[in-house]
Order: sequence, then structure tokens, then C-alpha cells
Amino acid sequence: MSDLLVVEDLTVTFPTARGPVDVVRSVSFTLGRDETLGIVGESGSGKSMTSLAVMGLLPKGARASGSVRLDGVELLGRPDRELRRLRGDRMSMIFQDPLSSLNPYYTVGLQIEEVYRAHRGGSGKDARKVAIAALQQVGLPDPERRVDYYPHQFSGGQRQRVMIAMALVCSPELLIADEPTTALDVTVQAQILGLLAGLRKDSGMGLVFITHDLAVISSIATRVLVMRQGEQVEYATAEQVFAEPRHDYTRMLLDSIPRIDDPLDEGVTA
Amino acid sequence: MTLLRATGLTKRFAARGPLGVKAEFTAVDRVSFDVGPGETLAVVGESGSGKSTTARMIAKLMDPTEGSLEFDGEDVTRAKGAALARFRAGVQVVFQDPFSSLNPRHTVERILTAPLVYQGIAPNGSRRAHAKELMERVGLNPDHSLRYPAQFSGGQAQRIGIARALAVNPKLVICDEAVSALDVSVQAQVIELLRRLQRESGFSFVFIAHDLAVVRQIAHRVAVMSKGRIVELGDTAQVFGDPRDEYTRTLLAAVPRINPEWDRRRRERVQA
Ligand SMILES: Nc1ncnc2c1ncn2[C@@H]1O[C@H](COP(=O)(O)OP(=O)(O)OP(=O)(O)O)[C@@H](O)[C@H]1O
Ligand SMILES: Nc1ncnc2c1ncn2[C@@H]1O[C@H](COP(=O)(O)OP(=O)(O)OP(=O)(O)O)[C@@H](O)[C@H]1O
Ligand SMILES: [Mg+2]
Ligand SMILES: [Mg+2]
Repeated sequence: MSDLLVVEDLTVTFPTARGPVDVVRSVSFTLGRDETLGIVGESGSGKSMTSLAVMGLLPKGARASGSVRLDGVELLGRPDRELRRLRGDRMSMIFQDPLSSLNPYYTVGLQIEEVYRAHRGGSGKDARKVAIAALQQVGLPDPERRVDYYPHQFSGGQRQRVMIAMALVCSPELLIADEPTTALDVTVQAQILGLLAGLRKDSGMGLVFITHDLAVISSIATRVLVMRQGEQVEYATAEQVFAEPRHDYTRMLLDSIPRIDDPLDEGVTA
Repeated sequence: MTLLRATGLTKRFAARGPLGVKAEFTAVDRVSFDVGPGETLAVVGESGSGKSTTARMIAKLMDPTEGSLEFDGEDVTRAKGAALARFRAGVQVVFQDPFSSLNPRHTVERILTAPLVYQGIAPNGSRRAHAKELMERVGLNPDHSLRYPAQFSGGQAQRIGIARALAVNPKLVICDEAVSALDVSVQAQVIELLRRLQRESGFSFVFIAHDLAVVRQIAHRVAVMSKGRIVELGDTAQVFGDPRDEYTRTLLAAVPRINPEWDRRRRERVQA
């Protein structure tokens, strides 16, 4: 069986007042079914742009070159009409900023139903049931009532879970999750990580998981890509990256994580 | 001495019950705490437990259904006009969703200097120089001062929000998950900056966060919220070392840790 996602030599370029700038330079990785790739790295290093390029959702003006193949089929350069058919269905993405990716004027139920019916058809009644089940799956309390809430009526972490529910509603083969659990408390986070790991095992969903939380990466990723200033500095199995990091930047990252069990430094005077 | 005192703050939202019957949902339920000058109080807890709603009430962006709020020795619960303006000058908020709190049509320079302009404070030097200095403080490239918010990454946008809050030398800064999207090195840098500014100008912090390791490093006291209530409030060392409440214990147990076997191997190699 071919790999689910193959990214080769991906470069993303923005035109700026001072000429074109590459914010992603020659990034390559592969993702098998049933695998989780963790992407970590500096703020501004191109993690989100890499994922947006895979989804065909780069901001206006940005250009992607190289190759992105989903199940052997090249996605770069494909017309938007075709990509739109794939998005939300075979591949979906959880965006870093949940508020700006939900429509404030529609209830979240309607927004989830719309994604579902666009790809699967079916009656409104069925879609509503699917939406409620999707909200339940991400651990939102009282889903029958909250399905009729507008985005602003949710807390930050609840909105993040609505986004996750929406991304999963068509059971995608590929899910790209950009900081999907940063707004969640650690118990809900554990629940969501369990849900994603389950989907990976049971339905072979491939997962790309972007986070700055290295402990989360260590618990969920099979492979890890470390990025810095648009470049990939390290790409290896999770075990290799955490136990035997090769690059100084990776070592520095691992050294600088605040750990809950470490002794405190003198900075705090309680 | 206290800078801010919240007493019995309660927020109820109208909600539709089954069959469209009107019902009420209590998002924050009789929450009381105080914050001293130069103190950092962290608020942690369950998603949906009322942390952001509490933050909005103490920032006076939302009126409480019940309860009262004192700031700098003044009852500000119903403050209007000049009293409200005084309050606003002393309190800054950094929000959870960075992009939605930045005007997409304004350049970073305009965003960063607007608070000064509103409050009639003249920046030292030119506005441009002032904006650039603020950007440098939070680790952003000052050459990007004429860019718009959409041209920044998530973590960069969060730092613009932090820089804006610091622009007016507030007495109280309320950070609602303001460092959650930052990578560990930038996070460390921003936290160090906040601590230094706290030492230098003595302002107070209410710091809402999910990252308990970060909270443990920077908070003097911690409030733990669950289902609209504060279930535990104590010194950081006590809450982390000897948690009294069942929910606090569950929370601490769920903190993700790096695979200990991998971590041990790495540390051994570092020593070798
Ligand atoms: N419209 C744009 N024009 C020019 N540069 C841009 C634009 N949008 C983003 N960038 C730059 O592209 C770089 C990569 O951004 P990206 O959002 O991929 O970073 P990231 O790794 O996801 O960071 P974070 O961890 O902060 O979310 C950043 O340095 C950003 O400033
Ligand atoms: N405008 C509103 N109408 C109805 N309910 C609301 C409204 N705003 C918030 N709520 C509800 O109040 C509760 C508390 O929300 P709040 O945003 O304060 O939680 P939080 O502790 O900040 O959570 P998170 O960690 O997920 O950000 C949630 O259950 C939310 O659905
Ligand atoms: Mg990003
Ligand atoms: Mg919140």
C-alpha cells in the first residue's frame, strides 16, 4: 500500500515589499496510514504554512512548489474546485485559531451539518443527529442543547472541541491538527488525545499533529519533524528525537521545557 | 494590602432549556479572591469552568449578575465615566484568541501606539520608535512594524497582544492563555520579560493558563476552578505539593510528561 501523504521539497513563498520570502524551504516527509507525525519548532518557523500548503489553503499571494501527494495523487496545482471536494472529506484540518475559522452568525450545529451534507448528502434530521454525536465524541457536556449555540457562547476550549468535531465528522483519512489542544485543560486534553489515537488505530487515520508541547508529542507521535526558520532541522522517529536528538536546536528545545517535577529556580518568591 | 478584590462574583447566562423553555446557566458561581500589588495569581482548571468569564468581569468587560469588585481601594462594580476611565487606564487584558483581538486593518505600529493615543500619553521619541521598542521586548522583528496581523504566525500575534498590554504601564495585567501558543523558548523569554517588568514596575498579574508547569514557575498563588467555582485557592507550593481538592489532584495527575525512558537516555547522553 502506498503512503498516505508524501511531501517532497515543499517550499512556500510570500511576495513582500522587499521581494519574495521563503517561509518554508524544502521540507520533505512521509506519513503512512496509522501513523502520527508530530511537528514542533520555533514560533514562525513555518509549521502552519506547511499544513496550509498541504490542504491547498495558503493565504492569497503565497505560492507553493515541490510536491504534495495524497494517496499517490498530486495535490499542488490542482484546481480549487477539486481540492474543495477533498477537504472536509478525505482530508481535514483543525486550525490554530478556532474563533476566526468558525462563522459567528450560524449555530455550530448548522456548521457541522453543512460540512457533513456537502460530502455525504442525506436529510437534515440525520445530519443533526450526526452533529450531536460529533459534539458528544469530543466530550462537550450537554451536546443536545449546545448544538444550537453560536460560537461566542462557548468557552475557548469548547470552541476548540467544536472544531475537532467538525474536522472528524466525515471520518477523514488524513487529519492535520494545528495546536488542537492548547486551549484545553490537561484532563480534557488527555481525552482528545485518546480519541485521536483510537481513530488512528481503528480506522487507520493518518495524523499530523502540530504543537509546542513536547510532552504531548512524545505521547502521540510515531515520527517527529523539528522546524526552525522555515527549514526542517531534524526528522526521525519519536524515540530517536527524544532519546538521541542530533541537532543542537532540538537539544535546546528539550532542555528548556518547564517540567512539572523539576525543582523550581530562584526566580519565584512566593 | 490588595489591589483587586472580587467578592461573590456570579455570572448567569440566559440559556434555552429543553422544549425552548427559558433557563439560566450559571457560568461563574460566587467566586471571591484578591490580588496584591506585585502579585501573580494564576487561575487554572477545567475547560468551560468560568475562567475567561471571570477574567471579563474583573476587567469590567462584562457586568456580573451578582457580586462586587474593588480596585485600588475603590468600589468599581458600577463604575462609569471618569471612575471607569481611571480603571481602564490601570488594567490591561491579553486574550485567548490573538487574531480576533487585533484589528486586521491596522498595522502593528498603529495597534501598539493606539493605547497611548487614547490615553493622551506621549511616547518617548516617535511613535515608530516606540512601537519598534515594544516589538523588540517581546522578541518580534522590529522591521515588521508596518505589517498587518494576518502576516504573522499564531505565536507572533499573541506577542503583539502582550506588547500592546505593556505599552501603558498598567497596574494589573490579565492574561487569558496569553502564552499558550508560544514555543518553549519564546515562552521562556516572554515569561522572563513579564517577571522582569513585574519586578521593575511592580504590577500585578492574573494569569489564566492550562500549562501547569508554567503556572508553577510564575505564580505566587493559584486558584483552581471547576464548574463555575473556585475549588481550591492557595500558595503555589501548597497547591502543587499538597493539593487538598480531589479535582486539583486529578488535574495534576493528568499533566503529560515526556516518555521517562527516552528522557533518561537523553540525560545520560548529555552527562556522558
Ligand atoms: N501574509 C504573509 N506575508 C509575509 N509573511 C508571512 C505572511 N503570513 C505569515 N508570514 C510569515 O511566515 C512565517 C511562518 O508562519 P507560520 O504561521 O507557518 O508559523 P508557525 O510555525 O505556525 O508559528 P506559530 O508557532 O507561532 O504558530 C512567519 O514568520 C510569518 O511571519
Ligand atoms: N455568552 C454566553 N452565553 C451562554 N453561555 C456562555 C456564554 N459565554 C460563556 N458561556 C458558558 O459559560 C461557561 C464558562 O465559559 P468560560 O469561557 O468562562 O470558560 P473557561 O474556563 O474560560 O474555559 P476554557 O478553558 O475552555 O477557555 C461555558 O460553559 C460557556 O459555554
Ligand atoms: Mg502556527
Ligand atoms: Mg477561556
